[in-house]
Amino acid sequence: MPGASPSAPASSPSTPLRVMPARRIGRHGLRLFIFYSCALLLTGLVSMLFADLLWRTGWSASCTVLLVLFVILFLFAAIGCMHGLYGYVLRMFGDDRRITQLKAYRDQSIAGISTAIIFPIYNEDVVRVCEGLRATYESLERTGQLERFDFFILSDSTDPDKWVEEERCWYDLTRGLDALGRIHYRRRLNNESRKSGNVRDFLNTWGRRYRYFMVCDADSVMRGETLVDLVKLMEVHPTVGLIQTVPALVNAESLFGRIQQFANRLYAPLFIAGLNYWALDFGNYWGHNAIIRTEPFMQFCDLPQLPGRKPFGGQILSHDFVEAALMLRENWEVWFAYDLEGSYEETPQALIENAQRERRWCQGNLQHGLVLFAKGLRGVSRLHLILGICGYLAGPLWLAFLITFNWIRWFHNHTGLSDITVQSYVLKGLSGTAHALLIFIICMVVIMLPKALALIDLSYDWDRRLAFGGLARTATSVVCETIFSTLHAPLLMLWHTRFVVMNLLGVSVGWGTQQRAADGTAWGYAIRRHWGHTLIGLVWGVFMWFLSPSLFWWFTPVLAGMVLSVPLSVLTSRRSLGARARKLGLFLTPEEIAPPPELVALRANMKVHELTEDNSLRRPHAGLADAVLDPYVNAIHVSLLREKELNPVYAEQLAVMGVGSPRVRALGEKLLALGPDKLTPAERLLIMADGRTMVWLYHEAWLRTGESLAPWWRASIREYSRLDVS
Amino acid sequence: MNDIGALADSSGHLAGRRLEEWNAAYEKVENYFHALRVRNKALLGQLVLRVLERAARRAPAEPQRSATQLAAEEMDRIVIDWFAEVLQEPPANADQMLSTRGRLALLLADMPGRWQEQFLRPGPWPKEFISAMRESYLRAGPDFQLSKMTPRPLDLGPITTLTYLGRLPYLKMVLAWTLFALLLVAIFIITH
Repeated sequence: MPGASPSAPASSPSTPLRVMPARRIGRHGLRLFIFYSCALLLTGLVSMLFADLLWRTGWSASCTVLLVLFVILFLFAAIGCMHGLYGYVLRMFGDDRRITQLKAYRDQSIAGISTAIIFPIYNEDVVRVCEGLRATYESLERTGQLERFDFFILSDSTDPDKWVEEERCWYDLTRGLDALGRIHYRRRLNNESRKSGNVRDFLNTWGRRYRYFMVCDADSVMRGETLVDLVKLMEVHPTVGLIQTVPALVNAESLFGRIQQFANRLYAPLFIAGLNYWALDFGNYWGHNAIIRTEPFMQFCDLPQLPGRKPFGGQILSHDFVEAALMLRENWEVWFAYDLEGSYEETPQALIENAQRERRWCQGNLQHGLVLFAKGLRGVSRLHLILGICGYLAGPLWLAFLITFNWIRWFHNHTGLSDITVQSYVLKGLSGTAHALLIFIICMVVIMLPKALALIDLSYDWDRRLAFGGLARTATSVVCETIFSTLHAPLLMLWHTRFVVMNLLGVSVGWGTQQRAADGTAWGYAIRRHWGHTLIGLVWGVFMWFLSPSLFWWFTPVLAGMVLSVPLSVLTSRRSLGARARKLGLFLTPEEIAPPPELVALRANMKVHELTEDNSLRRPHAGLADAVLDPYVNAIHVSLLREKELNPVYAEQLAVMGVGSPRVRALGEKLLALGPDKLTPAERLLIMADGRTMVWLYHEAWLRTGESLAPWWRASIREYSRLDVS
Repeated sequence: MNDIGALADSSGHLAGRRLEEWNAAYEKVENYFHALRVRNKALLGQLVLRVLERAARRAPAEPQRSATQLAAEEMDRIVIDWFAEVLQEPPANADQMLSTRGRLALLLADMPGRWQEQFLRPGPWPKEFISAMRESYLRAGPDFQLSKMTPRPLDLGPITTLTYLGRLPYLKMVLAWTLFALLLVAIFIITH
C-alpha cells in the first residue's frame, strides 16, 4: 500500500478479512468479563448492604423502588471507579496492549500517502478556526512532511456574514502561509445531515484522493508530529479503520473552563487507560481529532435515516459512535491512541454554555437507543452506546432516587412509624445510623477514588508533577475541583432531567442566544437560566428542614448547588477569577505551565486579532456589503461560486435553488433599492449564491447614483473613505 | 488637472454642471479607488482627476446624465480597459467577468502592497508584474474526484417494530391512559 497513488482507491476493503475475529473476541471477552465483573461485584455487595439497611427500617414498595434506583446508580459509579482503578494499575505496571506499542511505527515511511485534514464548521468564530488551522499547519510544516497533507475548511454556515468572513479569512490565511492549493475552502449550499452530511459531501467530492482523513473540530489544534504519527500508525496497521486521539482541553481562561481543563488533564489519562483495557481494538470515535481510513469509511459508514419522527427518527445526530460501530461491524479495528500527546481542543467557558452543549449531546445519545438493537453490531459497540445513554439517564435517575428517599422519610413522619431499626442481618451490632454512614462512605470512596488515584499516579512521576505545578498545588486543586463538581452535579442532574424528559416528549428545548458580559455570563441572563434551579433548591430545602433538620444537613451539598446556581454560574464564568486562581497556582495544567509551540502561536495570533480588530463599528449585514462592494472580496466570492458550478452535484443544487433565474435578479434589484433589511435571510443567501447576480450587483452598486440606492448602500460606500490612506 | 480647469465657465460651473455635482462624483470615484486599496495619496488624487476629466469631457454632450453617473461609468471603463490590456483579453470580451478576473489578479499579484504604482498606468509594465497578473488564479479545492456514498441497510431489530407501532392511530392516547393507570397503581402500592 505505501506508495500508492493518492487518487487511486486508498486501501482494499478486503484487507480486514485477514483479521481473526474469533481470537479478538476471545481476548475481549475475558477482559470485558473481568472488568465488568469487578463493577458488578462491588455493586452487588454494596447493594446488599443498602437492602439490609432498608430492611432494618421496614420494607415497603417504595423501598423496592429506592433499591432498584440505588443499584443502577451505584453500578454507574462503580463502572467509573473501575475505569479509574484499572487505569491506575495499567499506568503503574505498564500496558503493552496499546496501538502505539503493538508494532514499531516511527520509521514507517509515509511517502506517497495523501491525507486530508478537515475542519467542518458551522457559523463558528472564523478567526479562531483559521488560527487553529494555522498553528496546526505550521507545526506540520516543521516536521518536513507538509506535502503529504491537504487542509480543508468545510463550511456549513448559514449566516451570510459568516460566509463572507470565512472566505476572507481563508484567503488571508492561505496568502499568509503561501498555501494556495494546500489549504482549501468549501461551503455547502445546504447543510443537510449537519456535520455527518458535511463530511460525506467532502468524501463524495474529494474523498478518493486521500487514503486517510483526519477530522478536526472548529477549536481543534494538532501537533505536526502527532499527525504524522497517526498516519504512520495507520500504515503499519492495515486492519485499523480509525484511531481516536484523546484531546487535551486547553486555552481555558474562565474559572469554570480552567477547572474543567484541569480535571480533564489530571483524571482523563486514568479513565482512558481503563477504557482501553476492555475496548482494545473495539474502541470508539468521538467525532474529531481522529484519523480515519477513507475507503472503508466511505463504503460502510454512511448513516441511514432512522425511522419515525423527530427527535428520535430522522438523521442520526451523534454520528460518531454509530460510525465507529459500523466500522467495527465490518471487522475494521478502532483504537484509542491515548498516549499520543499533541491533540488539543477547547472547552465551554461557562456553566450555561456547557449545558447548551450537553443538551445537544443528550439528544444525540438518547437517539442511540434506536440503534442499540441493530443487527450485526458488535456487543462492545452496544456497550459504548449504552454507556453514552447512561451518562444522561443518570441525572433523572438520581433525581428519582432523591425524591423516593424524601417520600419514604415523609411517609415515616406522616404515618408516625417508628425510626427504631431492627438488628442488621449482615453487620451485627451496627447501629442504623452507623450502617447508613458506612454506605455513604463507601459511595463517596467509589466516586472519589479515581481522583485520589490520579493524584497518587502523579506523585510517582516527577516530570508530570512539575508539569502540573507541584503536588501540593495539584492536591489543593483537586480539593477545590471536588467542591465545585459537588455544587455543579445537582445542576447537571436538573438539566439532564429536563433534557431527557423533553426529548422523550418530543419537545425541543429552546435556549436562545448566550448573553455575555465583558467578563463572562451576565447576571440577568444567569437569573433567567437558573431561577428554576434556585427555586427548587429553596423549596426543597424548606421541605427538608421541616421533614427532619438532621437530614437537611445531609442534603446541603445538593441543595447548595441549586440555591447558589446564579452566583456559581456567573462567578465561575469570570476570566478574572480564572486568572486569579492561576496566580494562586490552582488548576494548573502542563499546557499552561509549558505551552507547546502550537498553542503559543495560537494565543499570540489571537491576541493580535483581539488588539487590532474593532468589530464594534461593524454594521449589520457587513458581510453582504463586503461581498458586493469590496472589489477583492467580491472577486473571491464570485470565483469560488464559479468553481462550485463545475461540480455537477452543486450545479444541480444551484439550479434547484433557482440560481440564474430572473427571480434572483429581481431580488437583487430589491436589495439595491430597499437595502438588505427588506429581504429575508433565505433571499439574501440566494442572491449571494448566484455568481452572475453578485457581479452585476457589484457594478450596479458602484455605477448607480446615490439616489437610486438605498441609504444603507450609500452609507456602506462611504465607509470606504475611512480606509487607511498612507 | 489643468484640463479640468479649462472646462470651467464664468458662472462657476464645470462642464455645465454645478461644482456640488462634481464633488459628489469625486467622492464616489475616490471611494472606489479606496476600495481597491489605492493607498498612495498622490496616486489616488491623480487617478480620481483622470476619471473626472474624462467624465467632464462627456458631460456637455450628455446633459441629461449626472456628473456622478458619468464619472462612475468612466471609472469602470478605465479599469476594464486596463484589465483587458494587462491580461491580454480582447476588448470585445471586456465584460463584467473580465472585471472579476482583473480584480482577482490585482489581489493575487498583491497590487495594493507591491505594485501600486503600476495600477492603471499604461504599458509597458515590469515583467514580474505582468506574469503575476496573468498567471494568477484562485482555486478553493483540488480536482474533484466524485463518488457517491450510500448508506448500507441497517436492520434496527425490535426498534423497527416499535416505530411501526408508533404509527398506529391513537397509540399515544392509549399509552397515556396506560401510564395514568400504572401511576395510580404505583401510588396505591406505595401508600398502602
